[in-house]
This record gives sequence, C-alpha cells and structure tokens, in this order.
Amino acid sequence: MSSLELKNIQKFYGENHILKGFDLQVQDGEFISFLGSSGCGKTTCLRIVSGLENQTSGTLTMGGEVISHPSNNIFLRPEKRQIGMVFQSYAIWPHMNVFENVAYPLKIQKISKSEITNRVMETLKVVELDGLDKRMPNQLSGGQQQRVALARGLVARPKVLLLDEPLSNLDAKLRQKMRHDIRKIQQDLKITCLYVTHDQLEAFSMSDRVVLMNNGVIEQIGTPDQFRTNPETSYVKEFLQ
Amino acid sequence: MMTLSNKNKYFLLIISFGCFIACLYPYLRLAENTLTLNLEDKGLLFSLQRVLNNSLTKKAMLNTLLVSILTSIFSVVFATPLAWVLSRVDIKFSKTWTTLFSLPYAIPPFVGAIAWINLASPSSGLLSKVIGENVLDIYSLSGLVFVLTSFFYTYILLSLLGGLKNIDSSLEEAARLSGANGFKVFFDISLPLLWPNIKSSALLVFLASAASFGVPALIGSPGGIYLLTTRIYMFQKMGSLNGISAASLLSFFLIFLAILIVFIQQLLNKNNIGSVVQGKSSRISKMNLGKNQKLVQVILFSLFSILFLLPIMSITFSSLSKVQGVFSFSNLTFQNFSHLIFEMPEFLTSVKNSLYLSVTVATVSVAVGLVLSYIEVRTNIFGRTLVRSIPTIPFSTPGTVLALAILLSFGRRMGNISLYNTLFLIGIAYFVKYLSFAVRTISDGMRQIDSSLEESSVLCGATFFRRMVDLWFPILRSVIISAWFLIFMPCFSELTMTILLTGPGLETLGTLLFQLQEYGDSGGGGAASLCVLLIGFILMINFVIKKISKGSYGL
Repeated sequence: MSSLELKNIQKFYGENHILKGFDLQVQDGEFISFLGSSGCGKTTCLRIVSGLENQTSGTLTMGGEVISHPSNNIFLRPEKRQIGMVFQSYAIWPHMNVFENVAYPLKIQKISKSEITNRVMETLKVVELDGLDKRMPNQLSGGQQQRVALARGLVARPKVLLLDEPLSNLDAKLRQKMRHDIRKIQQDLKITCLYVTHDQLEAFSMSDRVVLMNNGVIEQIGTPDQFRTNPETSYVKEFLQ
Repeated sequence: MMTLSNKNKYFLLIISFGCFIACLYPYLRLAENTLTLNLEDKGLLFSLQRVLNNSLTKKAMLNTLLVSILTSIFSVVFATPLAWVLSRVDIKFSKTWTTLFSLPYAIPPFVGAIAWINLASPSSGLLSKVIGENVLDIYSLSGLVFVLTSFFYTYILLSLLGGLKNIDSSLEEAARLSGANGFKVFFDISLPLLWPNIKSSALLVFLASAASFGVPALIGSPGGIYLLTTRIYMFQKMGSLNGISAASLLSFFLIFLAILIVFIQQLLNKNNIGSVVQGKSSRISKMNLGKNQKLVQVILFSLFSILFLLPIMSITFSSLSKVQGVFSFSNLTFQNFSHLIFEMPEFLTSVKNSLYLSVTVATVSVAVGLVLSYIEVRTNIFGRTLVRSIPTIPFSTPGTVLALAILLSFGRRMGNISLYNTLFLIGIAYFVKYLSFAVRTISDGMRQIDSSLEESSVLCGATFFRRMVDLWFPILRSVIISAWFLIFMPCFSELTMTILLTGPGLETLGTLLFQLQEYGDSGGGGAASLCVLLIGFILMINFVIKKISKGSYGL
C-alpha cells in the first residue's frame, strides 16, 4: 500500500496530445475513479502509472520514490513496480487453471509452494471463488473470470491496484454486486486503488474521490458530494445531467 | 441461399464434377498401377516384398523420415527465438529485419541448393577454397537438412509472427505486471498460447520436407542419399512398366505420410484451448535492449548473411565469372548472361512456357475457384462442402506423387488424343495442385459479404453470369488478385511436378535450371545466371504485390 503522485504528466502519440498536464495526489488506501467519455485519456493515465506506457514528460512518484521521470532518464519497469492490474478483457491466461493464474505473481517471486498455496486459497476466498481453483478459464462465467482477474491483481499484495473498466463486460445485475464487492475488498485490505470507468454510477458509488477528465485535461477532482453540490465547470454540469 | 434455374444448376454441377474427377481419378490409376506390379512374372506379393525389402528403398524411407523430422525440429528451434526478437524486443529496423528474414519463403528452395553447392561443395566450393578443401561437404545428410531448414523455417516464423500479432496484448501485460520480465512473459504466456501455431506449422515443415524434390535431387542424390521423392523419380525415369509400378508403390508411402500428418493436425485442432473474452490489442511494450542493441544487430546480420547474403553473393559471383572460382577483376564478365539469353534457345522457350503455364493456370484456377466457392457459400446443393475439401487432397499430396498419378491417368492415349508430352498435361498438374488455394481464399472472402447484395441484383434482373461478372468479380477483386498471385508464384518456378511431366520443347524455368545444374555447362555459370534472374524476378513480383495490396500481401 502506497501513496501516489502524478505531477504535470504529458503524453503525446506522435502529433496527438493525449494528456495535457495531469496533476494528482493519491493518499495511501484511497479509492480514486477516473471518469470520462472514451478517448479522454483516462486509460492512458492508468497505463502510465502501471509502466506499460511511459509519459512524454512529467514525474510519477510512488510511496515517496520517483518511479518515472523521462527527462532524468528514470523509468522503473512495469514488472518491478509491484502494481496489480485488472483489465477490461480480464486477461485471464487460457492455458492455466484458476489456481495457476492467481499463483503466477507469487511464482515469479519464488515463494515456497506451501506459502503460495496458502495465499492463493486465501485470496480466492476473499473474491468468493473458493472451490473453483481447478477450473479452466473457459469453464467460468464472465463474473467468475472477473473475480479471477481481481484475485490475481491482489494476491501479491501490490502497492497500488489498477482497474481498467473491469465491469463493462458484465450484465447489469452482476455489475451492481461486483461494485459493492470490489469496494468492500478494497476497504478491508486498505489498498490504494485507481479505477477507470465511463459509468457515473460506478464512479460516484465506489470512490473516495472522482477525477472527471475531458480531452486530456482534468475538469474537476473531488468527493462524490462535492460534485453534486459544486460542479466547477460547465462541462461537469453537462456531464452529470 | 440463392435459388437457381436448372440450367445454372447443371452448369455448376458439371464444373464441380469435372474438378472432382481431375482431383480424384489420378489416385485410382496410381492404385491400379501399384496392383499390376509384377516382377519376374512372380505375381504381386512377391514383387511387393521385393521392392519393400530392397535396402535402397528402406534407406529412402528412413532418410525421408530423418530429414523431415530434423528439418522440423531445427526450423522450430531457429524460428521461435527469432520470432520473439522480431516482435517483442525493441530492436532497430525491426520491420526491415522481418521482411528480410521472411524472404526465403518466396524463393524456391532448389535455388538455395544450387547456391550452397556453389559455396560448400567439398572440392570446388567457394567456402572450401577459403577454409580448405573437404572441410565442408554439402552433399551430406546434414547439408540437406541445413538447406531445407534455411528455407522452411519461414513457415514457422510467419505463422508465429501472425500469432504474436493476434494475441490479446493484455494477456502479456498482465504477466508483466505480475512481475515477469519480457523473456519470462514469452516463455510462460506467449509461447504456450502459440503452441497450436508451432505444432501445425512444424507439421507443415515436415510435410514440405518429405515432399521436397529439388533440394534432395541436387544435394542428396550426388552423395548417395535418396529420399522417397528422388527414388520415385529414379524409378519413373527407368521407363519400364515395373519401374513405374514400383514408383507408384513408393508413392503410397508418401501419401500415407501426408494423410497421417493431416490427421494429426486435425486431432490437434480439436484440443485447442477455448479463447476467453478478447480485448483490444494496444501497443505492445517491447523489451528494452539498452547496451545490447548493437550485439543483437550484429547477431541478426550474421544470421542473415549466412542464410541469404552469402548464397546470393556466391551465385551472383558465379554468374559474373568467366572461370569459376577465380577471384579477380579480369575474370568478371556478363557473357554467362548473354550466352544464356541469346545463344541458348531453351532459355526463351522456358520463359515462354513458364509464363504461359502460370498465367493460364492461375487465371483458370481463379475462375473455377470463384464458381466452386459460389457453390459452397451461396447455394444449398447437396454435398456442397466437398468443393472445399476435395481440392485439399491433391494439395497435400507430395508433388512427385501427384505428377506421377496425373501422368498415369491423363498422360496415356485416350482415343485419338494423347496429352503425353504436352504443356496441357503440366497445366492439369498445376491446376489440380493449387486449385485449393483459389477455393479457400475466394470462399473465405465470399463468406464475408452479405447475401442481400446478391439478392438485390437478382431483383434488378441480373442473370447468374451477369452476377458473377458484375457483382462478385468487382466485390472480390482484391481477394481474387491475391489468389491469382498465390497460384502464379509457385507455378512460375515449379520443379517437382514438372520434372516428371516435361519433355523436349516443354522446358520451364524450373526444369531448365535443374538440367543446367545437373548436366549442363560444367562451369556452373549458366545455372547461377538463371538463379540470379529468377530471384530478381521473384523479388520484383513480390514488391509489386506488396505495393498493389498496400502491404496486406507479399513479404
């Protein structure tokens, strides 16, 4: 668990200016949602935090340590960042069963077998998948695959958990339950979370604070209450309607 | 589904029956010929035993298996790390490297055999002159496997690169965020996901090696290493009835091998892991090389030099040499080329024949393929899927076997007509062999197009033929063009089948090259010059295809 600081993050894809100076401070154990319509830069921002992409300029600090700063040639590779991520497509490895999928991050750390078994089983219990550890991914429902992805993201006790539109492939009823479950797990484990979504309901019902983005720029950062009582720009007002 | 008038239905049925007969009848004749094998008038069983117990035959079978297995293994071992470097490591010029390493795919392997004989024949090879005689011997089993591998690894490389492009990138990203470095991600995630690609392309390499003729004929036979294909060729050239029957018998071993491979392939396809929700593929983060960039570039360059540059340079050098193997400026000349082009009448004949055959066969195959695809995709005629499956039988049959079967079935006198020693017979062989390309490519394209397009043109009053010409042809134009080139290219430099069917005046580029190398000018300058011309032409066509298709076809 760790705090996070993004300072004047800029991102270009060729001529395309995707992030135009992104500033954000995340407290230890905070749940932050990036909200915005598609193409506003929220996923790019998440990928920059993960290290899967590097910003063009700006500083990224995690737990007080600078992990990426292009002008000083600092870049901590994604596999060294101790970050968990849940992808929109779940990214469950189809050739491994549930146990192997969840155990993979621990296997890389060369932890002993018995310890791996304990921690995987424990994590599977947290995401309510106990008993399904021998199943192959194609024998799981969408919601169950989602939970496997979540378990895999949590099992190595990452400093930060990133979730990229994790619920968009689920049906409405399941989505409601998962919203509740993810929030509860996050609060129980007190893990710092960045959550990308285009769904207002998701953002406002789960988060400590919401970052509303538009066209690579932050329109407003605040608690759900602050958005309701005090929308800062006309875009925010329009978006919330 | 389209309802068709009876007249049109009969037309479709006649075309497909014609194709079925062309594809299947040869196998009957092959079987018949085997059964008439009668050595020393002692009957079939005795003759079968005699042929099978022949130590040369046994050796040929073993060699075929050994060469095919080794070539498949080495191809996988070489192509897999190469595919990883080309697609997942941040190397400079990665696109250029990918094109360069894919090039051998477009070049007929027997050209490579000629180049390597030039380089590494034990006494007169260019390399042997540099590092000493009798160190390298290309006329050996390892030489054979080496040359085959240096071409067939591309089957695996291209299949892997295609697969790596289609893997949902989040699967690999998830592994990186789990703490795995680039190398480990490839081993734990990408490679297991690509197992089906590796297995099926390795089987393809196996089949291609077992079916190869040019390389074993040029490299194996002089060293006394015979494969089934070269044995069949020898038996057939004996000309006697028993020789042909023995050739037919050996053919069945190759057919059996091909069936086995296709069967295994289908078995493997069944056990595929089901795909899970597909995500969008975003930019793949490539492994950073840092200081090792130069080292990797040097390694890639050396590999490319050995595989491609060295052989090309050796034949170019040969083609420009007055006296072979002498390194001096005064030895440079264009007379090999001028001799070939202006003084050798077979050259112009072979260019004419090759162009005529490949253009005609590609055009006819595409036209027939269009009709057959229409039957499969747009009608409800009983048994319509056969038009797709039957042409795959001759396609997966080794060329030597197919040519023999076609010679036996269409080469004999039928009434007053004899197709023996005609271009037409060679054309039939090409057509039967490559029809499958046309049917598969075009019917896949046709499937993508909504049936309402055709229905509306029917309502406009367009007849069946008008619809083919006005609707299907223009809509499928790019697919049809690519199918055309897919058939044109292998036909243009075909050797394996042509060598069994050719005769005086029927030289093609492939057979002329083979003859020049085998019996022709002792200097070797003629064969080398022809190789250079052939490679130049193939690369040019490849470039044109790539330009026309804006990069979707060609290497």
